[in-house]
Amino acid sequence: MEAKDQKKHRKKNSGPKAEKKKKRHLQDLQLGDEEDARKRNPKAFAVQSAVRMARSFHRTQDLKTKKHHIPVVDRTPLEPPPIVVVVMGPPKVGKSTLIQCLIRNFTRQKLTEIRGPVTIVSGKKRRLTIIECGCDINMMIDLAKVADLVLMLIDASFGFEMETFEFLNICQVHGFPKIMGVLTHLDSFKHNKQLKKTKKRLKHRFWTEVYPGAKLFYLSGMVHGEYQNQEIHNLGRFITVMKFRPLTWQTSHPYILADRMEDLTNPEDIRTNIKCDRKVSLYGYLRGTHLKNKSQIHMPGIGDFTVSDVSFLPDPCALPEQQKKRCLNEKEKLVYAPLSGVGGVLYDKDAVYVDLGGSHGFQALDEVGSTHELVQSLISTHSTIDAKMASSRVMLFSDSKALGSEDIDNQGLLMPKEEKQMDLKTGRMRRKAVFGDEDGSGDSDDEEGDEMSEDDGLENGSSDEEAVEEENAEVTDECMTAKGVKRRKLEELEEDSEADLPAFADSDDDLERSSAEEGEAEEADESSEEEDCSAGEKGISGSKAVREGSKAELSPANHQRDRVNLEKSLLMKKAALTTSDSGHCTAEEVFASEDESEESSSLSAEEEDSENQEALRKKLLKPSQVGSGQKLGSRNLIDETSDIEDLLKEEEDYKEERNDPTETSGALKWKEDLSRKAAEAFLRQQQAAPNLRKLIYGTVTEDNEEEDDTQEELGGLFRVTQPDRGCKHKADSLDCSRFPVEAPHDWDLEEVMNSIRDCFVTGKWEDDKDAAKVLAEDEELYGDFEDLETGDVHKGKSGPITQNEDVEKEVKEEIDPNEEESAKKKHLDKKRKLKEMFDAEYDEGESTYFDDLKGEMQKQAQMRLKKHRWYKKILKSRDPIIFSVGWRRFQTIPLYYIEDHNGRQRLLKYTPQHMHCGATFWGPITPQGTGFLAIQSVSGIMPDFRIAATGVVLDLDKSIKIVKKLKLTGFPYKIFKNTSFIKGMFNSALEVAKFEGAMIRTVSGIRGQIKKALRAPEGAFRASFEDKLLMSDIVFMRTWYPVSIPAFYNPVTSLLKPVGEKDTWSGMRTTGQLRLAHGIRLKANKDSLYKPILRQKKHFNSLHIPKALQKALPFKNKPKTQAKAGKVPKDRRRPAVVREPHERKILALLDALSTVHSQKMKKAKEQQHLHNKEHFRARQKEEEEKLKRQKDLRKKLFRIQGQKERRNQKSSLKGAEGQLQ
Amino acid sequence: MATQAHSLSYAGCNFLRQRLVLSTLSGRPVKIRKIRARDDNPGLRDFEASFIRLLDKITNGSRIEINQTGTTLYYQPGLLYGGSVEHDCSVLRGIGYYLESLLCLAPFMKHPLKIVLRGVTNDQVDPSVDVLKATALPLLKQFGIDGESFELKIVRRGMPPGGGGEVVFSCPVRKVLKPIQLTDPGKIKRIRGMAYSVRVSPQMANRIVDSARSILNKFIPDIYIYTDHMKGVNSGKSPGFGLSLVAETTSGTFLSAELASNPQGQGAAVLPEDLGRNCARLLLEEIYRGGCVDSTNQSLALLLMTLGQQDVSKVLLGPLSPYTIEFLRHLKSFFQIMFKIETKPCGEELKGGDKVLMTCVGIGFTNLSKTLK
Repeated sequence: MEAKDQKKHRKKNSGPKAEKKKKRHLQDLQLGDEEDARKRNPKAFAVQSAVRMARSFHRTQDLKTKKHHIPVVDRTPLEPPPIVVVVMGPPKVGKSTLIQCLIRNFTRQKLTEIRGPVTIVSGKKRRLTIIECGCDINMMIDLAKVADLVLMLIDASFGFEMETFEFLNICQVHGFPKIMGVLTHLDSFKHNKQLKKTKKRLKHRFWTEVYPGAKLFYLSGMVHGEYQNQEIHNLGRFITVMKFRPLTWQTSHPYILADRMEDLTNPEDIRTNIKCDRKVSLYGYLRGTHLKNKSQIHMPGIGDFTVSDVSFLPDPCALPEQQKKRCLNEKEKLVYAPLSGVGGVLYDKDAVYVDLGGSHGFQALDEVGSTHELVQSLISTHSTIDAKMASSRVMLFSDSKALGSEDIDNQGLLMPKEEKQMDLKTGRMRRKAVFGDEDGSGDSDDEEGDEMSEDDGLENGSSDEEAVEEENAEVTDECMTAKGVKRRKLEELEEDSEADLPAFADSDDDLERSSAEEGEAEEADESSEEEDCSAGEKGISGSKAVREGSKAELSPANHQRDRVNLEKSLLMKKAALTTSDSGHCTAEEVFASEDESEESSSLSAEEEDSENQEALRKKLLKPSQVGSGQKLGSRNLIDETSDIEDLLKEEEDYKEERNDPTETSGALKWKEDLSRKAAEAFLRQQQAAPNLRKLIYGTVTEDNEEEDDTQEELGGLFRVTQPDRGCKHKADSLDCSRFPVEAPHDWDLEEVMNSIRDCFVTGKWEDDKDAAKVLAEDEELYGDFEDLETGDVHKGKSGPITQNEDVEKEVKEEIDPNEEESAKKKHLDKKRKLKEMFDAEYDEGESTYFDDLKGEMQKQAQMRLKKHRWYKKILKSRDPIIFSVGWRRFQTIPLYYIEDHNGRQRLLKYTPQHMHCGATFWGPITPQGTGFLAIQSVSGIMPDFRIAATGVVLDLDKSIKIVKKLKLTGFPYKIFKNTSFIKGMFNSALEVAKFEGAMIRTVSGIRGQIKKALRAPEGAFRASFEDKLLMSDIVFMRTWYPVSIPAFYNPVTSLLKPVGEKDTWSGMRTTGQLRLAHGIRLKANKDSLYKPILRQKKHFNSLHIPKALQKALPFKNKPKTQAKAGKVPKDRRRPAVVREPHERKILALLDALSTVHSQKMKKAKEQQHLHNKEHFRARQKEEEEKLKRQKDLRKKLFRIQGQKERRNQKSSLKGAEGQLQ
Repeated sequence: MATQAHSLSYAGCNFLRQRLVLSTLSGRPVKIRKIRARDDNPGLRDFEASFIRLLDKITNGSRIEINQTGTTLYYQPGLLYGGSVEHDCSVLRGIGYYLESLLCLAPFMKHPLKIVLRGVTNDQVDPSVDVLKATALPLLKQFGIDGESFELKIVRRGMPPGGGGEVVFSCPVRKVLKPIQLTDPGKIKRIRGMAYSVRVSPQMANRIVDSARSILNKFIPDIYIYTDHMKGVNSGKSPGFGLSLVAETTSGTFLSAELASNPQGQGAAVLPEDLGRNCARLLLEEIYRGGCVDSTNQSLALLLMTLGQQDVSKVLLGPLSPYTIEFLRHLKSFFQIMFKIETKPCGEELKGGDKVLMTCVGIGFTNLSKTLK
């Protein structure tokens, strides 16, 4: 029965397997070849024409060579960073909708509000970072530089818009990423034919811009406000399988598209000075190449900075681990968009932030209490082992009050709970103690605090908190007889030692604080406040801020607060490349929690019996109390474990940290010992192997400055000069690269001589290179022939891998996680974090930035530039213009020039209309061959095409010779034969001396030379000409005057503008704009004005030939004395006829009649002419007809004649035949 | 803000050359304080001033500020320009002192460098021009710096204290360097040398050759030591003689040693036989140290590795000289590059002392000044 149910096996009829089988079957039948048409029908493929064959061959070869590219070294890491997909298009074209749909397609999640880049896992080996690009030209430029793929959205109902073409041009200049067009709004077409036509038209236009055959996608219409699922799916498929050609600029420069940023500046600093140096950490995937620590970076739209630290972070949006399956499961479809508030767990080097999921999380917090806490602790185990350790201890404290009280009993303390928090500014760890008393006193204050924060901005609020901390500290000092001070000092010491070490912020500082503990926290504040009051030194605002801080942690409505941050937070929240601003609450949270801890610590310090701590510390440290001991111990743990990790990196740190435990070693000896033992074991291991690296890089610190500082003064006047120390001596010793032999061997001894025996060819060789052995091996391999005959096949050893492969292999092995160098390579794709200092002062218009850079950027770049043919105006020299070169966008003052045939670079006032010209400007170094584009203004909306010019960088130099023509003029004041004295050209004899021998010319074209200065009028000189001058001549000399390039470089700091005004950045204005703004009219040079030319009448005197000359002249040339036509004598003159009125009438009548007659005649003539014409035409027609008739007749006649003749012929032939027959 | 972070500060006159060279290549300004501040004769010496002048000649737009006593030097590098240059070196140091730095800079000029250096060609302190010609030039060739115009010619020999030598060095320009993999030093197949004598009896050179051969012949028969006796104008201003030896291996690495006689009027007269023998022993020492690059050129090799493309370069060196160690530190501060350093203990093979394998990934340096046409 069972067997019956089973399905029968069905043979496969299609697919690769079936085909293979079919082939095999055919081969078995000896028909395999028949498949090949060439073999089956060779005649069809025979060569018909040699010429055509040659042509087709040429063509294929041409096509092939077109496909050749210069090979590019592929340096992409094994797990590449996400691909940057830029969704670009004019407004209202459907960019956001498309992004939403794509994200939904890939992750099955729906993001309602998208801000900044969104990273998603799109496949087994690919991640995408999708980012939207509006039509702010700054954004377009920046994103075109980092894009791997551009989805260019085009509103089909409207057609192409300027933005599209601008973006295409930007892309062309900065390396061409893959571009895929997407047509939207196709549902607005009513007629199918029109739709088809539009599609075709747009496609072909798109092809001319990108390349023929570029993919253009059609999104046919919206369904419920979204694109059709199938189309989005197809688009997604296209994106996931797309291949990319590495772009030179991108692969040769490290860059990061920051998807998240935190402001780590101490809020107090910001409060006191809004323009203080900010410390910002940026997060993102590193692309391009390796990023060096402490390197100079540029943030487009912000400026140039130095990285203070770079570190790896765990990948927040990791690719799936195993890739055996066909597709991803739901868990692996990650999405990461911290700026939009999506991403779950955020990892930092020293903290892990968990998103609790809005209102839902809040409910859980309210209801569950301690169980929730447990869950939270479990969640927090995502963090590192250190964090785990810290949290485990905290959990111990928090969930068992009895235990806490025991502790208190043991230590004589009142503190039930302890929290580790950290000051992000200094990286120092602080602790917070919380009292377990009644709760709910500061509710009203909470609100107040909230309001305040909204008023002043959160930053200010939190900075106030800091202020309070300080105050509190002071207060406690006073109250508690300086117990706190000592405590504080202790901490400061630690701070010093840990200054450059990443401190660990406890990941769960706000998590561990459950609703049950809220009260405790409040209480802590309360009590601190009371003390403050008693001391009588308390700023109200400060205390409010404190409460605000505590509330910040407790209030679960993170999202709301987020929004508040967004609005209030300012200036600084502008990520390098992020398109939209968003603050993230985490930083603030940390600050808030931290000041609590600060307070409590000061409190704890009061309670602690630590009066003699300092003394103790100086001697040999006894643990003051378990709490602190644990704290310290754990801190040491952290230090040491992190130390082990960075041992090689930070040797100095290590040393300092080693001091740390000795200073502060706490109570929990066992833990501390464990870690220390581990560290020591590791160290021993390290030291056992002679580590040259440590020797070289570890002991670089020769701090001579320190030495100076520590010098004691004697009597305030003299200083003790210490004898030169070793390093000091070294510093001034002989600079020589030779490596002298210190302990020479005795080369006469046999064993010493033998020690280098193998270095020579005469010595012993390695096995694989020894000629004798290789020969012997060869014999073994190839010596026997008999074996072959017997049928034994000897397989030769697979030869050693070729040299190159070997190297490759080694290089791969080189990637050793222990080594920093190679680790960098390996973790290229890992998240990195940048900590960054920069100056808020740059926000303002009048920046000091320029002065900072002045020293570094005395470079001038020469470039080949062409005005864009779509740009309506030509560009003027010395008009400020904004260049986008490399990563940078900056305003500078270019000079345009053209190279003359003799290599002279001549200044141009304006760029040529349709020609390339040179441009040079003062600015940062950019490698040659880099493309650039110029725009005149980034602000406002320009109706026309915005890209003013494009070109390429040709050369870099510090001095470029651009010259402009200068004509010096002078006037002759004394003229001899060919020599003239000229004045007015120079001012002194010295100037003349400089120009001796120079070519001069008059306006009329007489050439000459400057000879020597004259004494009499200052600056006059003697000059000789090829002809005699006239006094009215003007003499001029053509010279070339070098032009200096204006040292102006102004980075476009558009991202430092407040939200909504990002596209309003305007730098230096042109003189024209300034004139317009101030209403100053240009005063035209009078000489340049066009006036009507007034020419004076020239009078010529009559020619007078002297009489003697006249006599001598031949008759021909003699002036003929023409007798003037004499007057007609009176008698010859005829009198005028004066007619009578009657006669006049007659004459008039006759005139009229004759006119009528002539008119008549004229008409008649015309008629006659027409008639004649007609007649002629008729005649012609008749003639033609006649001819035709005659022709036909003739034809007929001839035909008849021909027939007759034929007949005759036939009959005659017949007759002949007949006769023959 | 940015400027301070950018500039580097050092104290003392030692390693002045590497600091200035690295500063020029990296474009980072450097400030050197306390140059012989405690010395009776404080400040920069003539030869250092001459070196700075040379840098000024081959660059365009560098800014050099020296304080009144000469104890502080601020150097802001310009762009390497190159072209035809002549320079009179100080006789206090050999031409090698200047040439070593030029070798580092020459491939990265805007125009190919052709420089005439005048001064002391051979002395006891600096690597002589002969040695640099025999070892540094082949090393540069490994990095792809090659061509017809790549040469170092000794026109005249000059010995200290008078000097009077003349050297012509020309080097082509490269945009990028090739990464190298020099891990196998190979075996020494021949030893060549140059025994020179100026303003002394030409017999001196022959005596040196004989004595040097007597020692080296125990190891390898293929030895040829040229004698170079320069006369008249070509012999410089002071008498002297010396020997430089170069061992070439099968894989094309060169190890060198040299010795020169004491300068006239300083120290006791040296017998040419002793000099030859000692020099041969020095060569054996150098061979004992081993490696793919000889000890004077270690820093040059490391620099060019650093400036290579973003690929892995490897080189096997003998023990690192103090100069090289300091150079590595400087490389770290100027280029943020740290080498992976592995000690390769010598096993039972009789190949001299321990070796060090240096590995790094190049920083992807490109010659920015080279003009694109």
